[in-house]
Amino acid sequence: MDLWSNIALGFGVAFQPTNLLFAFIGALLGTLIGVLPGIGPTATMALLLPMTFGLPVEASVIMLAGIYYGAQYGGSTTAILLNLPGETSSVVTVLDGHQMARQGRAGSALAIAALGSLFAGSIATLFLAAFAAPMASVALSFQSPEYTSLILFGLLVSVVLASGSVLKSIAMVVLGVAIGVIGVDITTGQFRFTFGMIELADGIDFVPLAMGIFGIAEIVRNLENRGTLHATVEKISRLWPTGDDFHRSWPAVLRGTGLGSLLGVLPGGGATLSSFASYSLEKKVNADPSRFGKGAVEGVAGPESANNAAAQTSFIPLLTLGLPTNAVMALLVGAFIIQGVQPGPMMLQQQPNLFWGLIASMWIGNLMLVVINLPLIGVWVRLLSIRYDFLFPAILMFCAIGAYSLNNSAFDIFVMIGFGLVGYLFMKLGCEPAPLLLGFVLGPMLEENVRRAMLLSRGDPMIFLERPISLTILVALALTLAAMLLPALRRRRKEAFVEEEA
Amino acid sequence: MRIRLKIVAVAAALAATAVMTGSAFAQGAWPARNVTIIVPYSAGGATDILARKVAEELTGELGRTFIVDNRPGAGATLGTTLAAQARPDGYTLFLGQVSSHGIAPNLYTTLQYDAVEDFEPIVMLESIPNLVVVNNDLPVTTLDELIEYARENPGALNFASSGTGASTHLSGEMFKSRTDTEMTHIPFPGSAQAVTAVMSGETQVTFDNMPSAYPHVRSGNMRALAVTSAERSPAAPDVPTVAEASTVVDLSGFEAASWFALFAPSGTPQEVITAVNEATNRILEKPSMIEFMRDGGGTPGGGTPQDLADHVTAELAKWGQVIEEAGVPKQ
Repeated sequence: MDLWSNIALGFGVAFQPTNLLFAFIGALLGTLIGVLPGIGPTATMALLLPMTFGLPVEASVIMLAGIYYGAQYGGSTTAILLNLPGETSSVVTVLDGHQMARQGRAGSALAIAALGSLFAGSIATLFLAAFAAPMASVALSFQSPEYTSLILFGLLVSVVLASGSVLKSIAMVVLGVAIGVIGVDITTGQFRFTFGMIELADGIDFVPLAMGIFGIAEIVRNLENRGTLHATVEKISRLWPTGDDFHRSWPAVLRGTGLGSLLGVLPGGGATLSSFASYSLEKKVNADPSRFGKGAVEGVAGPESANNAAAQTSFIPLLTLGLPTNAVMALLVGAFIIQGVQPGPMMLQQQPNLFWGLIASMWIGNLMLVVINLPLIGVWVRLLSIRYDFLFPAILMFCAIGAYSLNNSAFDIFVMIGFGLVGYLFMKLGCEPAPLLLGFVLGPMLEENVRRAMLLSRGDPMIFLERPISLTILVALALTLAAMLLPALRRRRKEAFVEEEA
Repeated sequence: MRIRLKIVAVAAALAATAVMTGSAFAQGAWPARNVTIIVPYSAGGATDILARKVAEELTGELGRTFIVDNRPGAGATLGTTLAAQARPDGYTLFLGQVSSHGIAPNLYTTLQYDAVEDFEPIVMLESIPNLVVVNNDLPVTTLDELIEYARENPGALNFASSGTGASTHLSGEMFKSRTDTEMTHIPFPGSAQAVTAVMSGETQVTFDNMPSAYPHVRSGNMRALAVTSAERSPAAPDVPTVAEASTVVDLSGFEAASWFALFAPSGTPQEVITAVNEATNRILEKPSMIEFMRDGGGTPGGGTPQDLADHVTAELAKWGQVIEEAGVPKQ
């Protein structure tokens, strides 16, 4: 069959010693920068880009791709151990993963995240190989009305996501949207809420915001109750997940993989949407949703699988349409162009070695990542037993480097510190930061797409109902809303909250 | 305040480096140490790739490492401001382009640099035309047909751009005013999204940069009607220029290209300007460089600093007029 001969060709390329070596280097580097809070794949790949001038095209792209998905693995490590999401997609891993670590189950959380990611990565790569071309046309049928409906759905889901008061989580979403609209309005080119500061013209960056609100705030809170710190460290007893953990995880991994593979294809924020969506799906289907936010293993397994699957399938728009869907993919376009290869529709015919070699290297790279990561789990977990006097300054330093390296600008460090204080305030007020981040990411996308749809329809709101995909999503949205408001369900929700508060 | 602090820090660092390399400096010849090229866009983008390629070649020509320093932000105006305020000692250069030295000075009233006063032009590097492309389902195959279609169906056409005030937007506005047609401008956050919108039929037309649009034309997903440069592009010799392709309207002299050039902060020693100009002119004649640019649809630059100064003057005037006529709000 055609697919198998192509895959065989791909493995032939990927198994060449040079390419194996560079896949390994990429996976290793990716893990390292993922573990270092704040230093993201974008900065690393940008720094390594000149190095790839002299490499053969396959090796350079294989290495850069390895850094990208390797960072997805490493990023979950800091999210779980240190409450520091380095990427948008690991924000939800923090919610239950860090709780597990605080209960002494850091090893289980890390192992489940790694194994779930391996499974999701392998399946999604197969999906990428088999459906790249047809999926690309699905991505094309998503236009501004469809995006508008999808994002509205996502925002509704974010209210479900929060475990606390509905009013507070709506307030956090709104605040997130408000922070998100800072900067140039792309429709009119006007500056909004920049207060004459040129640094605010491009808006607030996600990384310093997330590091401040989760990481720095967590450090401040930890410093507040220093006496209790040692208790958590001593409880770490086992590194391998229990049978119960496995039993609970595997359906979540399956659902996360499916969701991530589909949503990853969408241009713009697919990976982020998929981890948020997977978390709320797990919470919906679980018999006891109140466990979430308190160390539910499903809350790690689902989103971690989803974001890894999405990381693989987000290559689909790049490889088949030549469209970068995020900053990392844009960098990869740069790497391709330096090598004289134009990513896009022509690549599959002109460079089959490169196309299939890259896909095959993803399988190998994912396997390497688990081999690199599993034995290291013990090492990472021991990080938690380092005295906080040493650990905190080190974390703060890496956060500062990470924030600075985004734009080579000290401004982002101040943004991070500012949001650290804000995040601490939120903790004190019992407001969850996750809905804020979702509002921050989705709010501006919603505004942009609503306005674009209205421009295209010359002001006729029927455009959202006339198009079948958009209409379907809106109907689903209405049904979910109705279900949430139905008295029986509302009672159940209330009971859940009472339990939580008890 | 912060910017001032940063300048103090940079100045202190430069002073320290100057002391350390004092002996080399005393022996004369520039460059005595590494030279920084400020690029006002992020790493990995089209501007950055060109800068890194040029930096690599300049390193070979002049014997010192040329470093690319990415200072993205605020539509390239952040990095341009930093370059304008840098010490004019010959160790900071700037990669200027149509945005920093053609469009932004006409668009922003609060700009903290002056494109003419604060910079010494060195040499033109490359010029890349935009491509007029349409969706495959639109019943037009030539530029004339597009103009006629727009006239017969007023309000039917939408054109996508990579953002309000971008060259892809203003090329479209220039086209509208020269042809006296009506098209609704639909801004997107970047070129990739604008191209997708034309391929999917969400919008019908775009005036996108050649490197991101042309591959989709070659693969048959979009139709190219014309290039916006004065001459045909060597990368697409079968696509006519706008002036050639229009017979119903006189579009002679229509030119809307993205260009990239090296500048230095005002006050940089003349021998540095001359040395970089001569080295770059040599680089631009290398077959590998010509091929690199042709693959991206671009034409190598070259010429004297005066040629670049004249070009900047002409661009500032042209885009100023387009922005005025299109009624793009200034700020």
